[in-house]
Amino acid sequence: MADHYAPLRSGTDIPFIGGMINYALENNLIHKEYVAKYTNASFIVKESYKFEDGLFSGYDEAKRAYDKTLWAWETTEDGKPVKDETLEHPRSVFQLMKKHYSRYDVDTVTSVTGTAKEDYLKVCEMFCSTGKAGKSGTIMYAMGATQHTVGTQNVRAYAMLQLLLGNIGLPGGGINAMRGESNVQGSTDFALLYDTLPGYLNMPKATVPENATLAGHLAKETPKSGYWTNRPKFIVSLLKAWYGPNATAENEFGYQFLPKGNKNYSHINLFNAMYKGELEGAFLFGTNPVVGGPNAGKEKEALANLKWMVAVDLWETESSAFWQKGAGSDPSKIKTEVFLLPACSSYEKEGSVSNSSRWMQYRWQAIKPLGESKADLEIMNELMLKIKALYKNESTPAAKQVNAVYWNYGEKEVDIDLVCKEINGYDTTTGKLINGFGSLKDDGTTCSGNWIYCGFYPEEGKNLAQRRDNKDTGLSMYLNWSYAWPMNRRILYNRASADPSGKPWSKEKQVIWYDELQQKWTGYDVPDFVATKKPTDPGFSDPFIMIADGVAGMYAPTLNDGPFPEHYEPYESPIPNPFSSQEINPAIQLFDGDFNKRGFKADYPIVATTYRVSEHWQSGTMTRNQEWLSELVPYMFVEISEELAKEKGINNKDEIIVTSARGEVKAYAMVTKRFKPHTVNGKKIHQIGMPWHFGYKGIATGDTANRLTPHIGDANTTIPEYKAFLCDVRRA
Amino acid sequence: MVELNLNRRQFLKLSGATAVTLAVAELGFNEKKAYAQSKELKIAKADVTPTICCFCGVGCGILVHTKDNTVVYTEGDPDNPINEGKLCSKGTTIRQLYTSEKRLTKPLYRAPGSDKWEEKDWDWMLDTIAKRTKETRDKSFIETENGITVNKTEKIASLGGAALDNEECYLLAKMMRGLGVTYLEHQARI
Amino acid sequence: MTKYIKYVDVTKCDGCRACMVACKNWNDLPADPQDFQGSVQSHPKVSADTWNVMQYIEHENGKGDLEYLFRHSACFHCTDAACEKVCPENAISYSKYGTVVIDQDKCVGCGYCVQNCPFEVISLKEYVDKNGDKYRKSQKCTMCTDRLEEGLQPACVTTCHTGSLEFGEESAMIKKAEQRVKEMKDRFPNAQVYNPQGVGGTHTIYVLAEKPSVYGLPENPKVPTSAVIWKDYAQPIGKMMIGATTMAVVGAFVTNNIISKRKALKEDRGEDHE
Repeated sequence: MADHYAPLRSGTDIPFIGGMINYALENNLIHKEYVAKYTNASFIVKESYKFEDGLFSGYDEAKRAYDKTLWAWETTEDGKPVKDETLEHPRSVFQLMKKHYSRYDVDTVTSVTGTAKEDYLKVCEMFCSTGKAGKSGTIMYAMGATQHTVGTQNVRAYAMLQLLLGNIGLPGGGINAMRGESNVQGSTDFALLYDTLPGYLNMPKATVPENATLAGHLAKETPKSGYWTNRPKFIVSLLKAWYGPNATAENEFGYQFLPKGNKNYSHINLFNAMYKGELEGAFLFGTNPVVGGPNAGKEKEALANLKWMVAVDLWETESSAFWQKGAGSDPSKIKTEVFLLPACSSYEKEGSVSNSSRWMQYRWQAIKPLGESKADLEIMNELMLKIKALYKNESTPAAKQVNAVYWNYGEKEVDIDLVCKEINGYDTTTGKLINGFGSLKDDGTTCSGNWIYCGFYPEEGKNLAQRRDNKDTGLSMYLNWSYAWPMNRRILYNRASADPSGKPWSKEKQVIWYDELQQKWTGYDVPDFVATKKPTDPGFSDPFIMIADGVAGMYAPTLNDGPFPEHYEPYESPIPNPFSSQEINPAIQLFDGDFNKRGFKADYPIVATTYRVSEHWQSGTMTRNQEWLSELVPYMFVEISEELAKEKGINNKDEIIVTSARGEVKAYAMVTKRFKPHTVNGKKIHQIGMPWHFGYKGIATGDTANRLTPHIGDANTTIPEYKAFLCDVRRA
Repeated sequence: MVELNLNRRQFLKLSGATAVTLAVAELGFNEKKAYAQSKELKIAKADVTPTICCFCGVGCGILVHTKDNTVVYTEGDPDNPINEGKLCSKGTTIRQLYTSEKRLTKPLYRAPGSDKWEEKDWDWMLDTIAKRTKETRDKSFIETENGITVNKTEKIASLGGAALDNEECYLLAKMMRGLGVTYLEHQARI
Repeated sequence: MTKYIKYVDVTKCDGCRACMVACKNWNDLPADPQDFQGSVQSHPKVSADTWNVMQYIEHENGKGDLEYLFRHSACFHCTDAACEKVCPENAISYSKYGTVVIDQDKCVGCGYCVQNCPFEVISLKEYVDKNGDKYRKSQKCTMCTDRLEEGLQPACVTTCHTGSLEFGEESAMIKKAEQRVKEMKDRFPNAQVYNPQGVGGTHTIYVLAEKPSVYGLPENPKVPTSAVIWKDYAQPIGKMMIGATTMAVVGAFVTNNIISKRKALKEDRGEDHE
């Protein structure tokens, strides 16, 4: 139960956190040495950086994009950043940040967020008290933070606040993404995303000329400092895992077999292409966009443009059944051929999942798959073998690509152990398992399907994800329970818990420290670097080893929408932006026409947001098909305040209609004291909220909230803005 | 099957409990033995398998009790340091993932323009999917673009995977990239 | 022997309802879907197939601030249980742990226990047998007495992730409850231990954040006088006389008394509700 609750208008996280940054700076509550030594606050930014009326320098309105080279920092002759560790230089990141957030004073902030001033000040005071050594504070967030047109910058703002307070790399610190799916961590690590390869390697793009060759790609991608200097070893080892003996030094280790895209292929763009008829086939592995996708009515229409669709699921979902009358479709007019393959549940098969803390835990098989259902691993293996068989005797470019894929996990039954070993990696000449990614090579003598996981299976018979020794090894690290990538480390960047000399900032929050007697680092966690390096060795006072400069980015000149988080109103907002004349994030991609109708406050004056309830999961297929969970939350509802209910003549339990520019949904009104109108700029703004779990299939059914949400995404990730849009409500 | 070493189970030392159980509880606990003592308890003589919850990303441990080819009970794994035997409502009820009558047990096919599903066998389904994949790939395959070898198809999409095991995610990425797919997405954004 | 009780600290509960599902899962109870309740609450109260229900209460405290209160509600397992007293078939008894259990073989579904329970936590359900004949049974939480027999804690307690539910030795639990009330006084000035003595104390004690009436609980529940008369006087006499008619007459007397009990309870709530 919360000690303090401070509500805010949906879509105003940057003012909320920006105000806290300002509060910490104004009241000198920051951890100054940490900021000076472990962040880029001391770097001097070039004079070409400017910020005026909501725009950073280098904006191209036609392209809706910035020239980021204007945001670079000054460098010395050898290419290193110019620093001022006193943080006094007027163009130091620190001073620019101070200036930027001086505009986020308490009164301005609370007039935008609608938070009561005394509540807001209490939050500032409580949280900023963790800037002292010996204290730490954590920020936990989920899609409520990321699903905005400024989602990336919301999280950036958290990171900046935590860095100011010296809260990264310490127990009880950090910014923690609360992952909503059991393996969304793993599926991200394993790169089921258009722009990455396993282990956060970049997918080579066709738009970058250097990517024509492997050598060019490696040169372009590999920085001159930091741990990523090892990148070529990871890329070549991945290519060896994927193409096996077909990856040789002569053919650039099969680099040319990798597909190279030329644009943003993420969810909204994918459905936009499908809506325009540009796609022919689709595989849906346990996903239900007709409920879970933004502007879901359009995503359902888009599916009808496919020639064929394969859905792999435990249930008949709204998506696999999009052609049915119940979905509002006319089956005779839909030509899509649909293949629905029954998958088994997580405990009817074996394999590992990675949680939000990167713990890779093994799941054993408790029972044989129900009926004819199969593990997804079996389905993928059988399908790929069948596709490979069709191409076996062909030599077209399309055939060559498929034939090159090394796929040997068993013919009749897939052997998961072989998959595990390939992920970890082995010596391609001896077959000996690799003990950790430090041993990977770029000459083709090692393979590793995902370098960050390399080390979880260091020797025969030792899959460390299967470990069940639950003795607390100190600070609740449980180092012998399962395995955490990288190298079983439980706190990332734990070097930052100690001062530059290797001494913990405080006794209360000590994690690792340099032991002069043993001449090595020791403590409760696996150090984030070579343990025998002295704190004074060149480069080993830099805790943020994955960043080229070795320090954390208070300033991020690589993001698409600016080096500092700045407030812009959501795509649909009830007020003009009080911070500048830029209404919406200037760097977001706009989708026009029928695919994304935009609503305005004249027709849709109420702010709406969507969320999940504890009893249902995602699009509801896994929980609305279970009786016990269906009975707990059986109906689609909309939470509205007593004040709004009164204005609209709505009684509790009435059926109501919620409309947006995209569509309408019918639901029960849940009139509640827990929703209150916000006072924004002195005016009353109503906000409503609703779960997005419902659809017409399953035991508990109801209208789909995402029929209301827009096809608009974040400037960096294109994550849809589900969490703030405009609507209206009326009695049904 | 994993060798269980359950030592944190919340055994009460009830003075009224049966002597045999008490002795076990005090001597250190062997779950299978203890459950076997009871004739009535529904988890007596059940097989117990540890798993990790399939819902959110916290990674709670769950024990699945199976008997007579069905799941008779699911409960928190007391040995897992993440949840120490505790669960939310979703984790508690994963038993019904197996027992729900709504589960699909056979491959289903919907022909173009049809208003119903037809049952088909696995081989036919996978053979046909493989054929469709090949047809689409072959006619949409792009080998080069601006002088760069791109080896891709932009007419096939793959979505989902955030609930798959790591090993499955790995094979899915390898398979889709091996087919030249660029439209590759899972639920990280939605 | 040592007395064990269930401890419910509502100030730690986050309303996740794992306790509701754990109960159904252990006891193999079917789903029992209800109409929309106008709040997050799924069932208005416990039923024959839903032995514990999470209550969700939006309460404005003395300062006008909103408190969102939760309560895991289930059978209290009274030390002096009205249901046990009124059961004409002796189907209700105390287990060796002090839990109050209904012997389903003996229960004839007369409903006296349902009507006399001061907490309204027993429910009747109609079943149909193989021949299509209807029969009724009383149902309620058993405190997982079958698990207690094996040294396992009740299913709801085992799953509770916030530490809101515990099961343990009575004096330790009461001490814990009193300590918790002290800790919560700043946040909840009306916080109190609920362990009503009018029913001899219960085998479920609560740390409540607010007065019992806020949760719809009687401030001072008692075993109805009629129930005492029934169990301690009328029933033995009835049995001696073996007169069905007499039993029915006394039964009616008990039933009539319930109406006044209900009325009294409602007034009680009205007075104390803030």
